[in-house]
Amino acid sequence: MKRSTLFRAGALAVATSALLATAGCAGDAGGDSSGPVTLEYWGWAPGIADVVSVWNEQHPEIQVKVVEAAGADDMIAKLLAAQRAGEGPDLAQAEYQKLPNLVVSDVALDISQYADQFSGSFSEGALSLVTVGDGIYAVPQDTGPMIFMYRKDVFDQNGWAPPTTWDEYAALAEKVHTTLPGSYLGGYPDDASTMAAYAQPLGAEWWATEGDAWKVGIDEAPTQRVVTFWQKLVEQGVVDTTHFFTPEWGTMMNDGSLLSWTAGAWAPAAAFSVAPDTAGLWAAAKMPTWDGETGTGFMGGSSVMVTKNSAHPKEAVEFLTWLNASEEGTRGLIDAGLFPASSVGQSQLAGQPVPDLVSNQADFWDLAVDIAGNSAPFTWGPNVQVAFDAWSDGVKSATQTGAPYTDVLKAAQDAVVADLEKSGFTVQ
Amino acid sequence: MTTTISRAAPRRTSLRPRVAPWAFLAPALALFTMFLVVPIGYAIYLSVMQLRSSGGAFGIRRQTFVGLDNYVASLTDPELVASLGRLGIFALISVPLTLGLALTFALLLDLPGVRLARFSRLAIFLPYAVPGVIGALLWGFLYLPRTSPATYLLQAVGLPSVDFLNGSWLYLSLSNIAVWAGVGFNMIVMYTALRSIPSELYEAAKIDGASEWQIAWRIKVPLLTPALVLTFLFSVIATLQAYGEPTTLRSMSNSISFNFFPLMKIYRDAFNLDNTSGAAAASVVLALGTLVISLGLLRLLQRRTFGEN
Repeated sequence: MKRSTLFRAGALAVATSALLATAGCAGDAGGDSSGPVTLEYWGWAPGIADVVSVWNEQHPEIQVKVVEAAGADDMIAKLLAAQRAGEGPDLAQAEYQKLPNLVVSDVALDISQYADQFSGSFSEGALSLVTVGDGIYAVPQDTGPMIFMYRKDVFDQNGWAPPTTWDEYAALAEKVHTTLPGSYLGGYPDDASTMAAYAQPLGAEWWATEGDAWKVGIDEAPTQRVVTFWQKLVEQGVVDTTHFFTPEWGTMMNDGSLLSWTAGAWAPAAAFSVAPDTAGLWAAAKMPTWDGETGTGFMGGSSVMVTKNSAHPKEAVEFLTWLNASEEGTRGLIDAGLFPASSVGQSQLAGQPVPDLVSNQADFWDLAVDIAGNSAPFTWGPNVQVAFDAWSDGVKSATQTGAPYTDVLKAAQDAVVADLEKSGFTVQ
Repeated sequence: MTTTISRAAPRRTSLRPRVAPWAFLAPALALFTMFLVVPIGYAIYLSVMQLRSSGGAFGIRRQTFVGLDNYVASLTDPELVASLGRLGIFALISVPLTLGLALTFALLLDLPGVRLARFSRLAIFLPYAVPGVIGALLWGFLYLPRTSPATYLLQAVGLPSVDFLNGSWLYLSLSNIAVWAGVGFNMIVMYTALRSIPSELYEAAKIDGASEWQIAWRIKVPLLTPALVLTFLFSVIATLQAYGEPTTLRSMSNSISFNFFPLMKIYRDAFNLDNTSGAAAASVVLALGTLVISLGLLRLLQRRTFGEN
């Protein structure tokens, strides 16, 4: 009996691993061309279903069904699995940095031939985020121009001004630490999307293509400068090292231990749920600059792409154009708490109520639109997640052991290059 | 024997022994094939493939045969080796503690005249019924400095607070969750085995003047050995599959990486990095390792424990 139990347990282990690795081959979905078209739309943006129901009422011939299939992090895995099984949605929300992966994984459809409908409504910077190689693979939905969100009440009490440069930020971090023990000016960038947004204004190019070859520039001067800056603050103990959106971080945002957060313009809306007691006490300013440069960074935001499985790409793009680049659609996006990527959408922001956390700052939207206009361009590669994981794992352990952050940067660079080569790409 | 039967009635009976066993086996075989053989075969197939770009900077990646490349990559991956090391530390703390406590509780509950036995048994078993993720979250909040009652108590008596989720505390904290969740199940297995020991043995020992301590140590524990071996094996296998607790606590701790334990690394490779092939190869390696360890342990212990086999 023991022997068979054991064998079963062993076999179970094999089966579990086998199940872990389940995936299928891609197939083609058929679709009939007559009658009303139904499009399935996978997304996670809250409140998007309300916007879509407005469309559905007006367009009986193109019905869109919203499915909250997964959050931003799990969306790719689900899409890949569904697509390889020949299933999945017609439309899917995807973060900008994940689009190249979806292109090389044969999930995203090149919609260049329909792009005339919407391309005029987006800035060049926004369009560059959905352009992969020679094709356009998605319609931008929302973006996150970087803002410095700070506790205006505490700043005013102590006579502090929001820092305009990172040097001022460092000085202020020290001042906060001595004046208010137990409080921090802010946290270090332990996730790579924050780090990328800090390094973008310096001209960082983590991925670039030259002909058919990739050039990886993670471990280069701009980003090295950013990580060296933050390591000094971490070693001085004047910045916090709690990862954002953990329970610990939420407590600190709410009880006044964290006095600022440098993140995308969605930050006030996103932080409200963890720091409701501080509503109205925050204000936003431009992100500090390194050398007074004008370009700024982007963090987060997403686009909606059409999948290769979709039998109705034309109708899908028609809907996406309405959703992301029409007055009516973008008003819905704004109501849903998103910062629209299109110029049409951004022009709708004036006069809109500002997020609760910054409710005393009437010009919040003007500021965000102004920053969005100056975004520095950035190219993402097909294996962004490798860099993100390597950075966030590495920086946490380096913080524990005191190893230089630049070593982590080099490890991330090496991991990305190795992964590209393993996948058959040429790396310069 | 079969030859005699077939000689007596060649037509009817010669078929029957050939068909009947298979007919009875068919449902089990079908399930076995569908849910074990095919997935294992598919995992092995995946482990020798790799998604490779068809050329160009944005060339579409397709499944390509790469032979044993994924196995070489898995076995030489320092991250996988490091994760096995961390798992080893975790196992060294949690397995002996779980089994030791389970044995202690089982023996205590088996004492004659013990009070509140049913209640205690249920109370010790209850954590096993709590879903792993919920248990890990509960403990996570108890560990986090800002929400932990331990911090509150320590500060009340003027001691510095403890960061349970970093440094050397981390392994103790993780093991604590595993022990908390695992003791109940193992205790029940041992307790059931204890109840099946004939009470005549105890009476005989008592007549010979043995104390309860001597009965426990000289009679109960030796007779319990089969159950101990079984629970030990289960615990080792469960430890090799540890995944839920560190994954749940990852966002709360700076010390838990994406590849903290082997299964976390496999999950990350398969679902975050879309490297299903590498994950499949690592899974096969891990599964074979589990099998070898289990069979080895069993062979080692079997000779002493199940001599009659």
